[in-house]
Amino acid sequence: MKWFLFLPEIFYFASGMAFLCLSMTNRSDPQREYYIALALAALGVVVSLVAVNWEGFLFFNTYRVDLFSQVFKLILAMGLFLIVSICSELKSINVRHHPEFYFLLFVCTLAMMLLVSSVHILTIYVALELSSYSLYVLVALRRDEKMSLEAGIKYFLVGIFASAIMLFGVALLYSTTKATFIADLIKVLPGILDTPAALIGLLLTLCGFFFKLAVFPFHFWAPDVYQGASNQATAYIATASKVAAIAILTRMIAVTGPGSIYLAHALVALSIISMTLGNLAAIVQKDLKRLLAYSAIAHAGYVLIGVLSMDSAGYASVIFYAVTLLIMKFTAFLVVVKVADDGRNLEISQLAGLHRRSPLLAMALMVSVFSLAGIPPTIGFTGKFLIFAAAMHNGYFTLVLIAMINVVISLYYYLLILKAAYLLEPEDEQPTLQLSQPTTILTSVLVAAMVVIGIYPTLLFELARAAAGALM
Amino acid sequence: MEYASFPYLTAILLSCVTGLVVILILPGERKDQIKWVSAVFSGITLIFSLYLFFAYDKSKGGLQFVEIIPWVESLGITYFNAADGFNLPMLLLTGIVFFTGVLTMWELDYRVKEFYAFYFVMVTAVFGLFMSMDLFFIFIWYDVSLFPMYLLIVVWGTTRKEYGAMKLTLYLLAGSALVLPAIIYLFVQSGLNTFDVTVLMQPGTFTPVQQKFAFILLYIGFGILAGVWPFHTWSPVGHVAAPHAVSMVHAGVLMKIGAFAVLRVAIFICPEGWQHWSQLMAVLATVGIVYGAFVGLSQKDLKFVIGYSSVSHMGIVGLGLATVSVDGLNGAVFQMFGHGIMTALFFSSVGYIYDRTHTKIIAELGGLSRTMPVASTYFIVAAMASMGIPFLASFWGELVVFIAAFKTYPVRGALAVCALVVSALFMLRMVQRTFYGPKNEKYAHLPDVPFGLGIPRMILLIVLVGFGLYPTLMFDMIETASIPFINGLP
Repeated sequence: MKWFLFLPEIFYFASGMAFLCLSMTNRSDPQREYYIALALAALGVVVSLVAVNWEGFLFFNTYRVDLFSQVFKLILAMGLFLIVSICSELKSINVRHHPEFYFLLFVCTLAMMLLVSSVHILTIYVALELSSYSLYVLVALRRDEKMSLEAGIKYFLVGIFASAIMLFGVALLYSTTKATFIADLIKVLPGILDTPAALIGLLLTLCGFFFKLAVFPFHFWAPDVYQGASNQATAYIATASKVAAIAILTRMIAVTGPGSIYLAHALVALSIISMTLGNLAAIVQKDLKRLLAYSAIAHAGYVLIGVLSMDSAGYASVIFYAVTLLIMKFTAFLVVVKVADDGRNLEISQLAGLHRRSPLLAMALMVSVFSLAGIPPTIGFTGKFLIFAAAMHNGYFTLVLIAMINVVISLYYYLLILKAAYLLEPEDEQPTLQLSQPTTILTSVLVAAMVVIGIYPTLLFELARAAAGALM
Repeated sequence: MEYASFPYLTAILLSCVTGLVVILILPGERKDQIKWVSAVFSGITLIFSLYLFFAYDKSKGGLQFVEIIPWVESLGITYFNAADGFNLPMLLLTGIVFFTGVLTMWELDYRVKEFYAFYFVMVTAVFGLFMSMDLFFIFIWYDVSLFPMYLLIVVWGTTRKEYGAMKLTLYLLAGSALVLPAIIYLFVQSGLNTFDVTVLMQPGTFTPVQQKFAFILLYIGFGILAGVWPFHTWSPVGHVAAPHAVSMVHAGVLMKIGAFAVLRVAIFICPEGWQHWSQLMAVLATVGIVYGAFVGLSQKDLKFVIGYSSVSHMGIVGLGLATVSVDGLNGAVFQMFGHGIMTALFFSSVGYIYDRTHTKIIAELGGLSRTMPVASTYFIVAAMASMGIPFLASFWGELVVFIAAFKTYPVRGALAVCALVVSALFMLRMVQRTFYGPKNEKYAHLPDVPFGLGIPRMILLIVLVGFGLYPTLMFDMIETASIPFINGLP
């Protein structure tokens, strides 16, 4: 009955196949496909929820089902469900391509689920590539071909470059440790991590994940891809894809045990550069999605602070932060998708008058922006607080101080977004935005979740701690 | 420690939150209903804070009305509220300013619902901060009290509002960028896995070096909000730009949050750091007093004058804290209270004048005492309080601080007293030019304050005079906290 453990993955595989078949039919009905996708994604959440306590190994021990992986699968399933829920008006994708769009979303989620469970270098690589390739196509699928093709190609080129570097690192790692199983690496690696070959091997291996997370120096793709891809695809890249990257990065770093001082320093440097670069570049952005891309680079820096603490408190804080990112980023993109209802890109200045056009969306934007900036009582603050506390336990006082200064810098552009939404008035009168009943409920739930989990993080934090415990 | 039979402190927070929820539910067009709801719920908080002030058992002292609920046990976070001689005056101040602020904005007609919603969020956090005894919650309340400011100023403000709002928010958040690492540092270094102030303040929890390090971070971080020179520049700009009620809460209460947090967090937990850095605190405070007075002299805008006098008066609070003595603490806390009421009265009366004349430039006004005698009276009383005229509440705070300062820092104390003369000069000049002299005919037809709109100013005036005539009420309260604290110092 071991195959039972594989149920969530099988489910997403089957869903993907269903959409593949749909894409081969001639008749296309966007409404029908949306409802099918929504139902399947909701069912996926249920399946992942059922599977949350399962444990075991599959495929000659290259695939591990534990609390860590199952929690992440649940987060990914919820991410997919949220993304599908804002696809009701997929105007930026050609109607003929809607089934393909959903097909790619489901396959990409499948790949990420494989990724968070992989405990063998090869399965990790294969899963990583599968998810990347789905995303390349997803990005290029937008109706406005020129911009999205450029974005897709840029994404693809940076992606294969990162993959190549990662493979090189894997080779180095293998030559020094003679191990490809994570379980074996844990035994060998901490002892030899201070040798150059092993350290460089590990760092180069991590590059593949840095690319996914948009950590400096693999961040170049983010602004162009965020801008070029359709709003929904961008939302997916900004949320689910980042969650998977955080998961696998955490698993790889956990291999090093207490870690080495060189590795920690390298990560500190990358973290500081990512934060500062992301925040400074975001200040001058006019396009909201581009701004969110730079803010994502900055957030990758914050994530690294939690990762480089290299203890269970640090990993728990990172897992918490993954959920945080998912909720707050998604809320921001929900507003983008709803305000730019014809599927165009959204300038910050086009948010003008949002407080009148839709008070609820304006409030959702406000809470998500404060959450992104890390202002209490939102979930974003609690996430940052846990990360900083974990780093401080390991003596990184200066790093935390630099991160806090970055928070202040970031506040500047976040406040500009709020100013646009609350103060500026549009030049020509815009109609009020009518939200459907489910959207209203979804938005309210997200806002409530951001505030309630921010004030009372206990349950989520205990779950994150348990998941981190399964990792060690 | 005495546990509460009824959670009065939480009741204050809950009435704020309930008010907020009701405001959010009401449709935006029902402006009068929203105002009445705000008045009722802010009135309830005022009643609770008044009750607590008088129900506190001064003979027992210590922490009373204590409420403890474990919040995140694995991180040692507790929901821990308590009242003592330091925070009860502050809670009362907040209650008064909150209620009168709602009444001051009674004529507001633009986006009423959102205004009161943000206003309630801000004040909830202020209450929360004053009553909390848990570092984590203190920080949360501190930040929550700041973020509605940006929107409040940018949407409803006046002069250079976008610049003022951004400057204010970034300055204050920069303060919290120092505070958060310091708080986590204390949490980690104590090794006790708790954010409880009463536990962390036990002698011997931190080494002198740790205390010195954490103290300076906390002092600068919170000090930015308290308007400590040279980090004060956000304050006049922000006060001028903000709408009246927000200026009232901001200058009246929010700046006190900074000074109070220095007391509650930095001084309580790091007393040795306090003693070490007290010289520096005294220097910065004195410079602030003198500087605020002289810059105030050259201002042409009523609100700027008040803004700089606030910097000067908050300097007096800082000087009191820097003396490391019972008198200094008593004076500092009393001065926080007195200045809060006084500034609220200032901004409230300027608010009335500005709403009629649409100018705050001193030169454009003139002779207002004949057009609006009542409105002028409110303003002039506030100005007299600001000059330190006896028998107004702010007099006693200043007096006691200066007595304490003369003992510890004679030169700096003398300088500060001289600066008071300068500030009296600019206050008198402002009063003379605005309210006396040739009448500006443009504003001659304007009505005086009607009784209804005068209520908030009257309340503030009564409090100002009441505590001025009967300061023992306040000093007895503060002493229940300050004497045991100073005696407990190593």
